[in-house]
Amino acid sequence: MKTETAPEAPAVPPAAEPRPPARALPVWANPRLGLLIVIAVLVVLFSSLTPAFLDPRLTLAPLQADISVYVVVGLAQLAVLSLGHMNMAVGRMAALSTFAMGLAYDRLGVPLLVGLLVGLAVGAGIGALAGLLIAKTGVNSFVVTLALDFGLLGLVTILYTWATGGVSFAVQPSGLSALRFDTFADYCMGEVCGPRIPLVVPIAVAAALGVGLLFRHARLGREILMTGSNTVAAELSGIPTHRRVVAAHALSGLLAALAGFLLAANNGAFSANIGESFLLPSFLAPVLGGTLLAGGAVSVLGTALGATLTQVIYKGLNLLQFSLEELKLYIGLVLLAALSLDRLRAVLAERRAVSSS
Amino acid sequence: MSVVLSAEKLVKTFPGVRALDEATLTVTAGSVHALLGENGAGKSTLIKILTGVYRPDGGQLRLPGPDGELRAVQLGNPQDAQRAGIGVVHQERNLIPAFSVAENICLQHLPRRAGLLDRAALRTEARRCLDLLDLDLDPDLPVSRLSVAQLQLVEIAKALSADSTVLLLDEPTASLTNDEADRLYGIVRRLSERGHATVLVSHKLEEVFAVADTVTVLRDGRSVAEAEPLADHSREEIVDLMVGRAYQQVHLAARTVAADVEPALALDAVATTAGHHDVSLAVRPGEIVGLYGLVGAGRSELAKALLGLDQITAGEVRVHGRPARIRDVGDALHRYRIGYVTENRKEEGLFLDQTVARNTAVTVWRKLARLGLVRDRSERLLVDEYADRLGIRLASPDQHAGQLSGGNQQKVSLAKWLAADCDVLIIDEPTVGIDVRTKAAFHELIAGLAARGMAILLISSDLPEMVTLADRIAVMREFAIVGELDNDHDYDRMSQSVIRFIHDGQGVVA
Repeated sequence: MKTETAPEAPAVPPAAEPRPPARALPVWANPRLGLLIVIAVLVVLFSSLTPAFLDPRLTLAPLQADISVYVVVGLAQLAVLSLGHMNMAVGRMAALSTFAMGLAYDRLGVPLLVGLLVGLAVGAGIGALAGLLIAKTGVNSFVVTLALDFGLLGLVTILYTWATGGVSFAVQPSGLSALRFDTFADYCMGEVCGPRIPLVVPIAVAAALGVGLLFRHARLGREILMTGSNTVAAELSGIPTHRRVVAAHALSGLLAALAGFLLAANNGAFSANIGESFLLPSFLAPVLGGTLLAGGAVSVLGTALGATLTQVIYKGLNLLQFSLEELKLYIGLVLLAALSLDRLRAVLAERRAVSSS
Repeated sequence: MSVVLSAEKLVKTFPGVRALDEATLTVTAGSVHALLGENGAGKSTLIKILTGVYRPDGGQLRLPGPDGELRAVQLGNPQDAQRAGIGVVHQERNLIPAFSVAENICLQHLPRRAGLLDRAALRTEARRCLDLLDLDLDPDLPVSRLSVAQLQLVEIAKALSADSTVLLLDEPTASLTNDEADRLYGIVRRLSERGHATVLVSHKLEEVFAVADTVTVLRDGRSVAEAEPLADHSREEIVDLMVGRAYQQVHLAARTVAADVEPALALDAVATTAGHHDVSLAVRPGEIVGLYGLVGAGRSELAKALLGLDQITAGEVRVHGRPARIRDVGDALHRYRIGYVTENRKEEGLFLDQTVARNTAVTVWRKLARLGLVRDRSERLLVDEYADRLGIRLASPDQHAGQLSGGNQQKVSLAKWLAADCDVLIIDEPTVGIDVRTKAAFHELIAGLAARGMAILLISSDLPEMVTLADRIAVMREFAIVGELDNDHDYDRMSQSVIRFIHDGQGVVA
């Protein structure tokens, strides 16, 4: 057998191609910053119109609790937007999961945390089922989850009737009322008390940090994003794309379940109507925050800000005593305006980047 | 004969590539004009200019006016080209499956009466076009019910429907059987008797010689033969014109292959669900084996079947002597250390809206991850290393892959496999659409990889590239290997043998 010293990699002559310009967008083009400014302006506006907006106990604490729920709702949708998919069943997955929680508390008398884990497992399971159907059949995620939503709507009603004879569990697991009413201000060490932040807030923050870590640094999250960016290339790069689709949908179901739990804690009841209000906000938060519907890119911080914006608008208009119908009308208009401004800003930034390069 | 189309000194550049460099094409009425050239010679670009898809950066296009005098024209879009009498049948199908034959034929100019579709006129018009082809087909049949050959003919009827004087056919027989192709060419001859001019793009030289009377050969965007009578040339001369004698001289790393070493990748009488049969190949460490063949011969399909995208139904695949069952690309990469640089970098090889760093590291995350997490720093180091080794020019590793030039993109799609530390690499058409200089750099790179012990299966339609790089050349035709040659790097002898294999299924072993 001949042996040979391996030559070094050949030096490649430098190509004379021009260096492509690095497209640095100006600071104001960052959609997150834009959202932050809009939120700040609205807070100033609402508090000047009605001082009650700044009431820590009556307004700010419930507002934070609401924001916590809808941040997690937005994250549930973001989990599949990363693939360029949709989860139309996000609300009903939450409903089924909270039913499981309620059942565990009611019949088994499990502690708060155990019931939560049961619900999360149910949510992840139903999400994984949706992902499996999508991956195996190749049917559009919109269609699969829409059909699933319809099926679950019936199932949840039937289950509540069977288990409670009505639409909600009467059970109050210990700790639920603390989650509902307490803020850190209620817990003091000697003279020092915590800030007036509801106990549900850190749960949502932890969820956001976890999802952010997943998509930014975890192999799993990155591979999900690559699958969303170009499925064929992902498969030809050795990524098990089917399993990544299942994982993303399972995560979506899990986060929907968590959102359902937070809403149940805020309402103080595990009831059949949980999740009914989730669908539209689940899209609004990520999309306002700059997450693409096409897949391949997500923004967790943007989703948190997007959820905050919608809840601030909602709370402000509510305090200004708009009727429910007016509320819906104005919230729609404000969101349209916000999205248009966002688009305008992106276009302007793009033009500037092109003309300066 | 009168000139019906004259393209003079057309120039078209894309970032990094001069696709057309003063190409000239002159077509006369009643002729069947073959437009030949290798992949990347500029044929498609020329056709896209003639059909109004691209605008030329230089040169002019002249077409006869109503008085027969040639006038310079600007074709702004495909509709302009159609109105100017240029009909085209592209390689890919452009029919709407749910619509009827008649609707598809007249799609661009549906007859209307009082704002509504005039069904009677539609049928009459479609009938007229079908009659031009002597085609007995029910105009009301939905296109989805037609055979491949019928679809092709409907495409031609559609191209003729706008009173085309020039018909462009791009690889019209790629998906037809021999009988169907004969029938098609019968129709082409009849059209030329009626005064229509046909421009025929085909890789199948025997068909070209059977049907065409005039030839223009493109090489590197230039016309190296301009509207010459085909009868003046032998098949060998045409091939020489297409590929060029003075192919690029590159300095390749010296290497020798030990003959007694176990092949890194061996196929023994393999058949696949993609349609391959009796495919045997062996690539030893340090060896470059070329897999040559025409577009559609089944080469990329073989690569994909090997990687588990199709099933292997018979025969055996061995990796370093051990029987291998490869389920998917991840399996090939992680268990057998086989990488596949895809043919189609934009669709299959790259994530255009992701950073270069992620594009390079995607195959390595599994190795880089600690507790499932990947640190940006380790990824960055990897990208820097390969950008350096492959000469990838980056403004930043955070640049999106879509912003790079074609050559740099191709290097990125190679880098991810080098980073993954493969020892068998299947490289599919590595230099399509890449300018000559970068191409030479790529050849040096590939030879360098082999010199360091990598086993390389090189799929290419570029014969000079094969003769430059390969140690042995296997020729594939219709999903089977029809011959294998030891490469003696004598271009003339190799190209003749290879072409004989392709056209006759037999060759002279050089």
